[in-house]
Formats: sequence, C-alpha cells, structure tokens
Amino acid sequence: MTRDPLLLAWAGLVTLSLAGAGLSLVPAGPVLSLMALSLALLKGRIILHRYLGLAHAPRWRRGFDMVLAGFCAGLAGLALLI
Amino acid sequence: MSDLLDELPGEPMMWVLIVSELLVFGAGLAALSAMRLTDPAGFAEAQAHLHRAGAALNTVVLVTSGCLAALAVRAAQSGREGRKRVLLVGAMALGVVFLVIKGQEYAAKSAQGIDWETHPFFTFYYLLTGFHAAHVAAGIVLLGLVAVLRDPRATETGAAFWHMVDLVWVLLFPVVYLIR
Repeated sequence: MTRDPLLLAWAGLVTLSLAGAGLSLVPAGPVLSLMALSLALLKGRIILHRYLGLAHAPRWRRGFDMVLAGFCAGLAGLALLI
Repeated sequence: MSDLLDELPGEPMMWVLIVSELLVFGAGLAALSAMRLTDPAGFAEAQAHLHRAGAALNTVVLVTSGCLAALAVRAAQSGREGRKRVLLVGAMALGVVFLVIKGQEYAAKSAQGIDWETHPFFTFYYLLTGFHAAHVAAGIVLLGLVAVLRDPRATETGAAFWHMVDLVWVLLFPVVYLIR
C-alpha cells in the first residue's frame, strides 16, 4: 500500500472521476447537480493541494479553497434554479 | 508580501496565468449556467447528444497525465533527468489521447449535423471545450519544451500549466456534461 501523496492523490482523483461517470445514470435534478459539483470541488482541491503543491502553502491554499468553493456554490445556486 | 510570494510553489507568473485562465473559463461556465435558465428543456435536449462516457474517460486520462507531470517535477528536482523525460513523454502521450477522444466526439457531433449554431448550448459547448482543447495542445508543446531543458524550475512551470488544464476540465465536465 503506497503512502506517496501524489499516488494517493491520483487514486482519489480516479475514484472521484469514476463516481462522476456514474452520475450520468442519476435522473436530472438538484441532487444530480449538487453531487456533480461536490465531486468537482473535491477533485479541484486535490489538484490544487497535491499536483500544484498548495498543500505546502497554507495561506494560498486557504484562499484558493475559498474561491473554488464559492465558485462551485454559485454554480450550484444557478443549477438549483433550473 | 514577499514572504507570501515565497510561500507560493513554482513561478509566480505562472500563477498569474493560472488565475487568469481560471477566471476566463469560470466566466464561461457561469454564463452557460445562467443561459441554461432561459431554456432548461432545450439545453437538456441538446446536452443529451453528448457522449458522457467519453468525457468521463477523458477525465481519468487527464488526471493520470497530471500525476505523471507531477512525478516528473519530483524527478527533475532530484536530478533524475532520464526519469523526468520518460514521465513527461507519458504525460504528453495521454494529452494526445485526450485530444483524439475529443476529436472523435466532435466528429460524432458533425456526423449528426450538429454545429455551434444548432442551439445556444452547442455554442457554449464548442467554445468552452474547444478553447480547453487548444490549451491541451499548447500544454503538450510546453511539456515537450521543458522535457529537453535541464532546469527543474522550468519543469515545475510547465507542469503547473498542465495542472491548470486539468483543473479547468474537472470544473467544465459537470457543468457541460452532467448538470441538467
């Protein structure tokens, strides 16, 4: 079992991507929208933290996390209006 | 202030580019989401023509490519040039796979008589995915350039651009392909 943060990040991203693929089977509606955007937020955070190295830059990480979460929340708000 | 900049990994100018690109794509995705409200049924009907499985496969392809690029940065920082090049070539090859799958998706749309004027959804679809595909192509060239340079900083900068392309895709995928 690897403890390499990059490989763990990759495994997490692939798992979340497959979960995203499974969402195509979920009926249209708010549940689908919220799940799809939650998965995107989680994947985005992994890419920022592990691939782009913000895990070692806590102040930048917090800033990017807040903006990304705010953006996904905005998209979720628009999706819930459908 | 310089303390804060020192904390940022990699080249600060690449982060300026990353933030700029995220803002551009973010505005496009927000515009698509807002436009969808004007004709939810029409957007859903248009979106049903997309090949979601192919796009999901492309997500796995890109995140795997991103992992290879990140491992290449680590190899460059430890002076393992040969390993760095192999990893970057792998990342580039997966970038090409992404473009091939994307090209097949465009060809399928074309065969169905769908173009960017068919419906406003497809205007956004072609603009956003086409602009992203152009970034993938540019990223492949950039990774090729840093692969031949013996400069860990350059490798980190090239990989950062590649991760930005990755990040944009994981945000684009649910908005364009899933939400309906």
